[in-house]
Amino acid sequence: MCSVGDDDFENDLQKVMPVIKNVILSETCNKCRARPPLVVLRSKDFYCKDCFLTGTTHKFRALLGKSRLIRPNDIVLVHHQIGHPSTALLHFLRSALDLSTPKKLQFKPVILFIDNQYHLTVKERLDILTAVEQEVNSFEFNLYFISFAKYIANPDSIEELITTHDLTISENDKDELDSLVKTKCSLTNKNDIKTLFQRQLLLDVARHLKCKFVFTPDISIDIASQLLSNVSLGRGSHISVDTGFCDDRDEIVKILKPLRLFDMKELALYNKFNKREPLCVRQPEINPYSSIQDLMKTFVNNLQSNFPATVTTIIKTGDKLTVEQTGLQICTLCKNVLSKATPQLRAEDSTNFSHLISTQIPDQSYSREERYLSLLDTFEKEEYGNKDLCYACYKISNHMMGY
Amino acid sequence: MPSCSTKCGRTAILKRPKTGDVLCKDCFFEAFENEIHFTITKAKLFTPNSTVAIAASGGKDSTVLAYILKLLNEKYNYQLKLLLLSIDEGITGYRDDSLETVKKNQEDYDMSLKVLSYKDLYGWTMDEIVAAIGRKNNCTFCGVFRRQALDRGAHLLKVDYLATGHNADDIAETVLMNILRGDLARLSRCTSIITDSGDGIPRVKPLKYCYEKEIVMYAYFRKLVYFSTECVFAPNAYRGHARVLLKDLEKIDPSVIMNIIQSGESIKVNQTVNMPTLTNCTRCGYVSSQEICKACVLLEGLNKGLPKLGIGKSSKVKRLLEEHSLKEKSISKNNCSNSNKTCENTIIDKDFQCLCLGKKESVQIDQLPLDKLTI
Ligand SMILES: [Zn+2]
Ligand SMILES: [Zn+2]
Ligand SMILES: [Zn+2]
Ligand SMILES: [Zn+2]
Repeated sequence: MCSVGDDDFENDLQKVMPVIKNVILSETCNKCRARPPLVVLRSKDFYCKDCFLTGTTHKFRALLGKSRLIRPNDIVLVHHQIGHPSTALLHFLRSALDLSTPKKLQFKPVILFIDNQYHLTVKERLDILTAVEQEVNSFEFNLYFISFAKYIANPDSIEELITTHDLTISENDKDELDSLVKTKCSLTNKNDIKTLFQRQLLLDVARHLKCKFVFTPDISIDIASQLLSNVSLGRGSHISVDTGFCDDRDEIVKILKPLRLFDMKELALYNKFNKREPLCVRQPEINPYSSIQDLMKTFVNNLQSNFPATVTTIIKTGDKLTVEQTGLQICTLCKNVLSKATPQLRAEDSTNFSHLISTQIPDQSYSREERYLSLLDTFEKEEYGNKDLCYACYKISNHMMGY
Repeated sequence: MPSCSTKCGRTAILKRPKTGDVLCKDCFFEAFENEIHFTITKAKLFTPNSTVAIAASGGKDSTVLAYILKLLNEKYNYQLKLLLLSIDEGITGYRDDSLETVKKNQEDYDMSLKVLSYKDLYGWTMDEIVAAIGRKNNCTFCGVFRRQALDRGAHLLKVDYLATGHNADDIAETVLMNILRGDLARLSRCTSIITDSGDGIPRVKPLKYCYEKEIVMYAYFRKLVYFSTECVFAPNAYRGHARVLLKDLEKIDPSVIMNIIQSGESIKVNQTVNMPTLTNCTRCGYVSSQEICKACVLLEGLNKGLPKLGIGKSSKVKRLLEEHSLKEKSISKNNCSNSNKTCENTIIDKDFQCLCLGKKESVQIDQLPLDKLTI
């Protein structure tokens, strides 16, 4: 229906969705007010090279320091990917470990690379493994490899799956994920399942390597698009653990997102000034309409270029949400706390009722009211969903083998 | 031709976006109506022997709402007194056609109709406001007054409930919009099926779980008369973004709409977050974040002959009072953005886009490709 008049907020568009005006170049760096600026961030902050690097490094350490989670000598598993964020992350870590001041990082990173780029040829994937090894070696970190496909096929034998070199890969790896799901499974659901498995893989490897923490290279647009995807998949109640700084669903291993407040430009400039060239990989051609996750990525990317402040707003919205601390009942797939049953009518109930009423034979020998009452009776006796799965996982479980 | 999912033996004519089931016409009618009955009873929307004002705009949502509330009230004996409430902004040429539709609904459904004008509610018509303040700022008045009009009308008529035609698409769109705006207070309450505007008259949304496409199909197959013209008022930028996003999501998977509502219903705001407290306007009682609501400030300005009072920030009021002593040099021209060179329109929205009626065109059943929905 017409929504004009529903939105009783004032003209705050300029505040939260400001249109980027032509940037007026500043003469000097905003920070030191001495040197000429080299970098413009968010179309308004001008920095010289030194101040930019100091500020960026400070931003990284501040987020880690503020959380006070990691103790000296803890081992941290770093999920390494291809691209600016991961390369910058390795550089942040190496330079903080090499400090001789009290700010020196005290924990020990180990790096994990997951072979999962199944749109590439076997040759290309092998080349990537070699290149990743060189990159990680140049930062003097220990590196492990694992095949995503082999993990899916055999999740209980991490010890045999992880290797420090010569990962065996094959053309058939890409079929492994398909063996998990039924033929009619949409790309949206496949992506959702992949995310769940990748998280479990990181936890399993971390536990095996005695790491208490995992670092992922997610940056602001990843967080914002995941948040919106979560909402669209019915995972709204899990936003704070799925997109927050710390995912503490697992009792032993916490997954942290130390780059979640950075954008791509900051990290690309950071790498450039540090003379680090990240690896490149042939990107798959993505049709934004092929899945909800792809659509959200495109949407957030457009926001990032036209309304960068809105990306920050989305992340801040997520930061103010929490999970229901009701019981100890955990979803067996995503491991999130299950919402407790509520007497309030929810969208889930309405959909279940609609499906029931659309599939029951209406017995015309009864009156309309009697028909409704008998239907309601059936509805109330029926068990919907699965008591071990959350709303969204129940929906995807219908497309998975073994459920 | 697929046969109806209920196995009634008839041929299906449509596929429901909400569940993916295919239904024949009769089964669809009964399902759609019973679902709304399910919503009304499960969410305890009404108590017997009350008066319910149905916000009637002449559009498909309020037409279907009025039709179904009347039908359910009789079939399931709600014992409600139903009436139609319509607002006439008094903008020359804008409401005339839709008000005609509402009047037709009144006859068809045998319900009493109350049309309240801005003059009734505020003492000023929109045309008079425009004449008083010039063309540049009337968008502020229009938005603020529209917001409160239904509530004030319900209050004036002393009804017990105000039912609006918000559908599932509207709710999902609002959830997305509030995330983009970072508005936690509204995010946490926008999925409520019953809300309170502070005057003790609950606003209820019986179509909360109805897909817009199914509402259109229902109206189409029931041959209900409604006014199918796009609203001439442009949505604000956030709602615009959210709307486009939702339409795209729906193309990929229609169940997203219910997912988003489910998410909105289960989102929990951290208790440590400061939420703006809403109070009631000390003059009119309407929910407001200020002591005196925007509408009352604007009205005071109009009545005192200082129409610009209340436009912009309150800190600017003093300056405006000073400015007021200087004569207005000129009234800004209407730069009609609809390339309607001879546009005489005086209504301009927040983004100063002309809302001239030149762009008003009849839309084929809301541009929904019915041939794709039906089988
Ligand atoms: Zn500087
Ligand atoms: Zn789950
Ligand atoms: Zn049928
Ligand atoms: Zn007021």
